[in-house]
Formats: sequence, C-alpha cells, structure tokens
Amino acid sequence: MLKYLMKRSGIYLIMIFLTTSAGYFLAVSSLKPAVLEQEKIPRPTPEQVAASFRGLGLDPDLNPWERYIQWLGGIITRWDWGRSPNGAFVNAEFADRVLVSTRLFIASIILTLIIGVALGVYSAARQYKFQDRVITSYSYLVHILPAPIAYFLVQLGAIGINEAVGERIFFVTGISTPGIDPGWPAFVDMVAHYAVPTFAMTIFGWAGYQIAQRQYLLDNVNADFVRTARAKGLTRNQAIRKHALRVSFIPVAQSIAFTIPAIFTGGFFAEAIFAWPGIGLWSIQAISLQDVNVATATLAYGSVIFAIGAILADFATTLVDPRVRVQ
Amino acid sequence: MSTNITPAERLRDAGLYAPGDAVLSVRDLNVRFNSENGVVHAVRGVDFDLMPGKTLGIVGESGSGKSVTSMAIMGLLPETADISGSVRFKGKELLGLSDKAMCKHRGNDIAMVFQDPLSSLTPVYTVGNQIIEALTVHNPTMSKQAKEARAVELLRMVGIPSPKDRLKAFPHEFSGGMRQRVMIAIAIANDPRILIADEPTTALDVTIQAQVLEVLHTAQEETGAAVVMITHDLGVVAGMADDIMVMYAGKPVETGTVEDIYYNPRMPYTLGLLGAVPRVDTSDKQSLVPIEGTPPNLALPVLGCSFAARCPMVSDACLHGEPELIPVPGVEAQTLGHKAACIKAEELSGNADAHKIFHAPPKPVSKFDGVARVERQKVLELKDVKKHFPLLKGALIKRRIGTVKAVDGLSFDIREGECLSIVGESGCGKTTTLLEIMEFHPDQVGEVVIGGVSNKVATDHKTTMAMRKEMQMVFQDPTGALDPRFTVYEVLAEPLENLGMPKAAIRKRIMELMKLVGLQPDHVNRFPNQFSGGQRQRIGIARALAVNPKLVVLDEPVSALDVSVQAGVINLLDQLRAELGLSYLMVAHDLSVVRHISDRVAVMYLGKIVETGDVDDVFDNPRHPYTRALLSAIPVPDPNLERTRERIILQGDLPSPLDAPKGCNFATRCPVFAALPAAKQEKCLTLEPPLASEGAQDFACFFPDGEIDADMLVVHA
Repeated sequence: MLKYLMKRSGIYLIMIFLTTSAGYFLAVSSLKPAVLEQEKIPRPTPEQVAASFRGLGLDPDLNPWERYIQWLGGIITRWDWGRSPNGAFVNAEFADRVLVSTRLFIASIILTLIIGVALGVYSAARQYKFQDRVITSYSYLVHILPAPIAYFLVQLGAIGINEAVGERIFFVTGISTPGIDPGWPAFVDMVAHYAVPTFAMTIFGWAGYQIAQRQYLLDNVNADFVRTARAKGLTRNQAIRKHALRVSFIPVAQSIAFTIPAIFTGGFFAEAIFAWPGIGLWSIQAISLQDVNVATATLAYGSVIFAIGAILADFATTLVDPRVRVQ
Repeated sequence: MSTNITPAERLRDAGLYAPGDAVLSVRDLNVRFNSENGVVHAVRGVDFDLMPGKTLGIVGESGSGKSVTSMAIMGLLPETADISGSVRFKGKELLGLSDKAMCKHRGNDIAMVFQDPLSSLTPVYTVGNQIIEALTVHNPTMSKQAKEARAVELLRMVGIPSPKDRLKAFPHEFSGGMRQRVMIAIAIANDPRILIADEPTTALDVTIQAQVLEVLHTAQEETGAAVVMITHDLGVVAGMADDIMVMYAGKPVETGTVEDIYYNPRMPYTLGLLGAVPRVDTSDKQSLVPIEGTPPNLALPVLGCSFAARCPMVSDACLHGEPELIPVPGVEAQTLGHKAACIKAEELSGNADAHKIFHAPPKPVSKFDGVARVERQKVLELKDVKKHFPLLKGALIKRRIGTVKAVDGLSFDIREGECLSIVGESGCGKTTTLLEIMEFHPDQVGEVVIGGVSNKVATDHKTTMAMRKEMQMVFQDPTGALDPRFTVYEVLAEPLENLGMPKAAIRKRIMELMKLVGLQPDHVNRFPNQFSGGQRQRIGIARALAVNPKLVVLDEPVSALDVSVQAGVINLLDQLRAELGLSYLMVAHDLSVVRHISDRVAVMYLGKIVETGDVDDVFDNPRHPYTRALLSAIPVPDPNLERTRERIILQGDLPSPLDAPKGCNFATRCPVFAALPAAKQEKCLTLEPPLASEGAQDFACFFPDGEIDADMLVVHA
C-alpha cells in the first residue's frame, strides 16, 4: 500500500512540476509589471524600473527561459519562490495565506461531505416521499444559485440575528478581532468569526454530494446482490444498509478528489465576501498586479491540493472497493 | 398489496386444500403489476404442491411468469405488485406477511439461487463474510468459530478447492461457475426445506453448467430439500425433475411427471416446445418445429386460450373461454397427475407428430449437397493464423510479463455450401478468430483467404471492400446490433448504398430481402423496437445478405432467442443456405444447435483446434477427451436417457491463457490424463500433441479414446 502511494505521489510530483513550469512560462510572457510602474508618481524612467526589478530577480530584459532557470534555481537551492514587484517575499506571505484559506475551508469541507452523504442516503431511502422531495428540491435550487448571492443572504441573516438580539453575536467579515485577550475570549471571538462563513459554505455546498449519493444508492437499491441479501433473510432496509450503501459510496469517494480543488478556486468569492485574505484572493490579486511569482506560486499550490485530493480519493476507493486493492 | 385479506380468507378464496405433507402449496397465485401500459397480469392462477425431497421443474419462455412466481413465493416482489391467492409453507400462509416476518422464512426455510452469479454477490464483501451473514441472520447465538467452520464445510460441499483460504477471497476473484457455487453454498447454509433455483446455469458455459447441476444435485442430497427448478432449457430439467409444470402467458398449461410431459405431451405448446429443441445425440436432419408468432400481451385481457394465436390446431371453440387445467382424459390410474389446459388434449394422445402438426418445412436441399467436398471451391481459408496479446505491467513504462495466446496457429477452410462451427468454452478464442477474419489486414500473422483474395495483398481500400462483399456477419444480440433510430429500410439500404446501387434497385432489393427472411415487406418503415427478438434477428440476417455474400459469419446467432423463436431462425438459416448456396462460419456454445445446422465442426481449446471433422463423425465418435467431456456436458431433453447416461464432469475452469502448460494445453483438466500411469503422463506434459488425421477426423491427442478417470465420471442412479 505504502509503495503504491509513493508511486502515485511520484507521478503527481512530476505532473505538478510540469503544470507549474508551464504556468510560469505563461505568466512570465503575459504579465508585465513594468506597465503598472508607469502609473506611479513621480513616474520612474524605464531604466529605474528595470534596475529595481533586476534587484528583485524580475529582470525584464532576460528572455523567459533565462528567467525560468533563475526562478527554478532559487526554488531548488534556497526554496525561494521569488519576490513581488513591490519587493515582498513570496515565501513570507505564502504561509499566512495558506493558513487563512485552510482555516476558512477545512471545517466546511468536512461538514459538507458528511451532511451531503448522510442526506443522500436519507433521501434515497425515502424516494419520492415528502422528505426526499424537500431535500432534493433544495439541492437543485442551491445548485443554480450563484455563490456570491448565497453568501450575501447568509450575511444578511446573521446581521438580522445580531440586530434582533441587540448584540453582536456573529461577525460577518474578518478573521479575528485585533487585540483580544488570549484564552477563552479569543476562542469565543474565533467561533463568532468562524460561524458565518462555515455555515454559508456548508449549507450551499452539500447539494452536490447529496444528489450524487442519492442517485448512486438508488442505482444499487434494486441490484441483484441486494436481492441475494434479502433472500438470505435480511429485511429490505438491512440489505440496503449493509450491501447497497458501501457499493454506492465508491463513485462518491472518487468524486471527492475533484471537489477539493474546486472549493479552492471557488474560494475566491468566499474569501472576498467574508474578507478572509486567503490564497484564492491572492491569486486573483496577483494577476491584476502583474505579479509573476505569486501567480505561479498559487498555481503550484492549486496543483498540490489537487494531487492530495486525488491521492485521498485513491486511498478512499481502495478502502471501500476491494476490487482495486493492490497486492 | 392487498394486506387486509386474512390468511383464512385467502384459503377460502383459494378453495382447494393441499395435501398435508406438502412443504409448499401454492393455490391460485395471481400477480399483477401496474405499468405505463395498464395492469399487467403476469401470473394468472398458479397451483402446485411441492413434496419433501422432490424436484419440480417450471419450464417456460421469457415472460411466461415463471420467475415472477418464484419471487412471489419468496416475497421479493416490489411493494407495488398486487399478489393474491395462497402460498403455504408446511401449512402456514406466507402471503401477506410483513417483510420482517417473512425474513424468518427466507434463507432459513426457503432459499433461492439466482440466474446471474456475476452480479448476485456483493462485490465489496468477502465470500466468507457473505456466507457467514446467512448463518448469523438465522442463528444469532452461533459462535464465530462454529460459523466459520460451517462456512468452510459449505464451500467444501459445493466443490471449492482449499475452502479455508477462499473464505477470505472477494467475489471478483472467482469465476462465474465458482460464484454460482458460492450462491448455492449460501442458499443451503441453513438446511432449507425448499430450494428455488431460477435459471441457475443459463449464464454459464456448458462444462460449468454440468458442474453446477452436479453441485445442485449434491446439495439436494445433503439437505433433503425440495427443489423448484426454473428454466427455459428442457434438457436441464429432464434429468433432475420429478414433476414438470409448463407455463405459458402466466398460466400453467400442462403439468405432470417428467415422463408424462416428455413422452406424452397433451398440449400443443408443450409438443411444439419439445420439437423445437435440436438434439445433440442424434444426427436426425429434420427441420425443427417452429412455433410462429409471439406470446400474448398480458396487459390485455385474455379471452380464449392464450396459445390460440400460435396454435396450428386452433378451432373456434378455442377462442371462447380459456381452457381449465384439467386431468388429461383417458389415462391410466398411475398418471392421474397429468393435467393439460387444452380442449384437444385427447386428440394428442398416442404418438402425435409435432412436425406434422406444426407444419415444419421439409429439410431444404442445396445444389451442393450432391457434390463431393473436394470438388467444391474454398470460400474461406485460414493458414496458421495467430493472435498473441502482450500482457503488460507498469504505469508509465510498460514491461512485457507474458503473452496471451488467444489464437495460436489456426488453419481450416470452408467450402461452398457448407457450415463450419467453432465450439468451445468462453475464453477459448472463438470470438478472436472471427475478429481476425474480419480484420483482413496484411500485417496479421498468418494468411486469411476470402473468396480467393488473400489478406497479404489487401493493401488498398478497394480490395478490402471487395472482401466485405464476399463476407458478412450476423451478431449475437439482435437488439444491440440494430441502430434504434434507423427504420428497417434504412438498415437494409445502408450496405447497398455503400456499393453505389441506384435508388430504384435498392428499393426492389429490400422488398426481395424482406420476403426472403420471412418478414412482411410493408413493415420496412418500422423501427427495430416494433419487432420481436426473432424478427429482429431476421432483419440482421437480411442486412447480412443484402450484398449477396458467399460467406456469412454467424456469431451466436440464436443464443439470445427463446426456444420456440430459435427454431424458426435456425430453419430460416438452413433454408437460405440451400436456396442461395451460402457458406456459414458459426460460433456457438449450444452444441445441439451446432449439430443441427453444421456440416463440419472445429473444437477449440485455449486458442488451438483440438478436434475437427464432419459434425456426425465428431459428435458420434469424439476422440479427444475435451470433445468427449464437452458433448457429455450437454443435457438431452429425454428423461430416461438423461438419468442413466454417464457424464464426464471436468474439474475447474478454463485455465488462464497465461499459465498455459508446456505440453498439451488440456492436461490440467484432462479426464484421460488423470487416469494415465505416470510414465505416460510425462509425454502429455512435455510434448505438444499435433493436430493429425486419424480415422474420419483430425484431433490433437496422444491417447484418444483413453479410459476416463473414475472421479470425473458421474452416473445418477
């Protein structure tokens, strides 16, 4: 198993290297930070701009290949992902940004998965009954609702609660209140900040899992092996719970891989609306600021997240499906 | 379901009381389903009593209600099904029980084996887990060790080698035949009183079918259970059943002992069904008995006799009121149980000739019949054709770890007007052979000559097209082989348009073709789904014949069809061959069909021909042990013969082509090899027997007609 995971990781590492390199070439040949420098007052001369960029390792006179070698050399020898046009180090900001994004998304990723799959099973067991119709209609509604609107609605709701109570229970934006005492007050503050975005992303996120799990389970409810289980003497519900459920989870487990990077990229809206300056926001900003190194670093991060998701999916699949277990 | 009827009311409604010692009594069982086309009355009044330790065979075509009957007994029909009547297990009413109450009986008193072993086991649990589950449900206090020991015992009973290790294996690690054995092990886990087997061997190869039937036989002996055997194959039940119930359109139309049904049928449908089955044990070259038409639509009320529309003996009286299932008049006392639902049962007494009654066509005579084989031209010749697939391993860089020799040095020819059949178990290379012939590419290993054109010179499109005109193909699944969005006219016009035929000529040709295959020419504008299975296969045949080929390749042409429909298609193929002077290359697993239709036969095992010759020579006097085993595996629809004949039961499955033995391929399963002294075995293990001519046929064996190992011979007393 370990050997298999190592091998998969090796393959993904090569893929990450290739996508990141390709991303770098695309960024370096299309993003021109010098153009933005021209808007500064006093306007610097092209020579001044080139000189300052040369000091940052962003020499505009070198050709893309030379820049690539320089950039790659920095990463390999010093784990230095370069600097922004304003002089900031990518490495310094990267860790903070990743931490913010991870904190923002991790709870809702887990909750979405658990609630979505559970509701999928619940609604499949009650196909076409009232509960199923409510849950599944809700999921389809959420599917067509754009994320920004959904998040705003939750913010409005939270503000409404705050006003009704007459006290600020929930924070609708921001990560934490500056200058709060450590310990219990800091924890309460964190929960107050955490609640609204997590709630918003969860209740608008589980729809996909719910629909998929319901569908796959229904496909298996009348399978031959469920009939066999019933012929042994299991009741219909026991047979479904023990035999159909695990088989129906196999394709859901596989789809997880492709949901994690989707949350990462879709996270831009959540980060912007809830004012959590994470990596999604950073990547969009990098492009508007013509920042080659940051754009590439966020792209590399996206590839890594994708690879982790895919490995997790492989792992989950081998866990639930003995047919793909490797000897 | 109408749950408000009490068991007592059911019995009163059903009226008849059953004999006290019956384990299962079914009275006036009716099942109705709601469908888009209205209420389908799938089972219309089934009555039977099952005595302990006896076997009842329920025989019928698809849609006759035999599976629905079994599912109704098990209580496994969907909740929406409307079931009425009475099903009593040892006098206790089962209909109307809740799912939970029924669970006490399912798997404990009544167990079931289903048709498709590949999908009937849960893929994510081990085989041991699934057997133990059946034990746990009904014996919650049984210890874990005891359950495991019982599971091992069960696996051993059904003939799974090294059962202790196999407990931990998953279903995908078993072959189809092995999975069906596991299903039987699960079914007999709690020593049920009734075992229902619903087409348990339909999805399996003949040799594996023989093994599984043997296991069922053992299981019945071990548990003393009464068996309900549901099948469409009259051969399978002939040797097993004590009583037979023939079902048609949801109703039993004839019941009786096996002898009654097979030797003295009193209902035209039974008679036709028996005449429609080709026999593997006789070289009788009569046409088969075709039963024209299709079963009635059960969504509409049945007014007269349900078989009237297809019955050659029909008269006005048949159309007024459905005949009751009543004792056959004029029989002796010992066959009182023989009942038939036909007002003409008396007329059929004695030796009724199905061929005469059903107007079976005479055996067609071809213009080539009088010409010696060597004087006829070769339409297809294969010279040492090989197809080896490399077996690769590795994700990015592939390493070759072995070779699968799917087809390994095949040479044969087909002359004008003859039919050659290739037979063998699945995986022996039959289909690959057909694909190699259809491929027709100069880069192939070996030479394929079709109508005098060799694949070695087929370098341009024109030559290949010329070959395609010589040879056409008919596929196994008539539904899948026809584009559902094409009308029959478009299906048949396509090959003709490819040839650049003018429009008017195409129209004329299509009308000819429709008549040729026995379809109404004015149906050309219908879509394939408006035809029955047999008619669709006729369309497939018409499409193959459109371009006037000399050779037609038939890939299992009738295996997807019901027995009565199959006979009509086989007769058509016979007739076309004679009328048009066609040659056939057929692949089929049903050796009875092969014997009926072919002139020559080639038996394949692991990519090689092991025996070939004239069909009567090979079938009457098989020399190679594999051919002998294959032929012995075919059940014959003749109860007396079936009960007394010796069968060779091969051990295990077809070995993976990867670990093909060095000497004779068949040595690992060979019943003759097993009986040989060690000194002679050495020869089989080191040398490969060549395909050589001896007597009337060619075969590849050092010890033909050798003695069969006693362990692999079975006779049912």
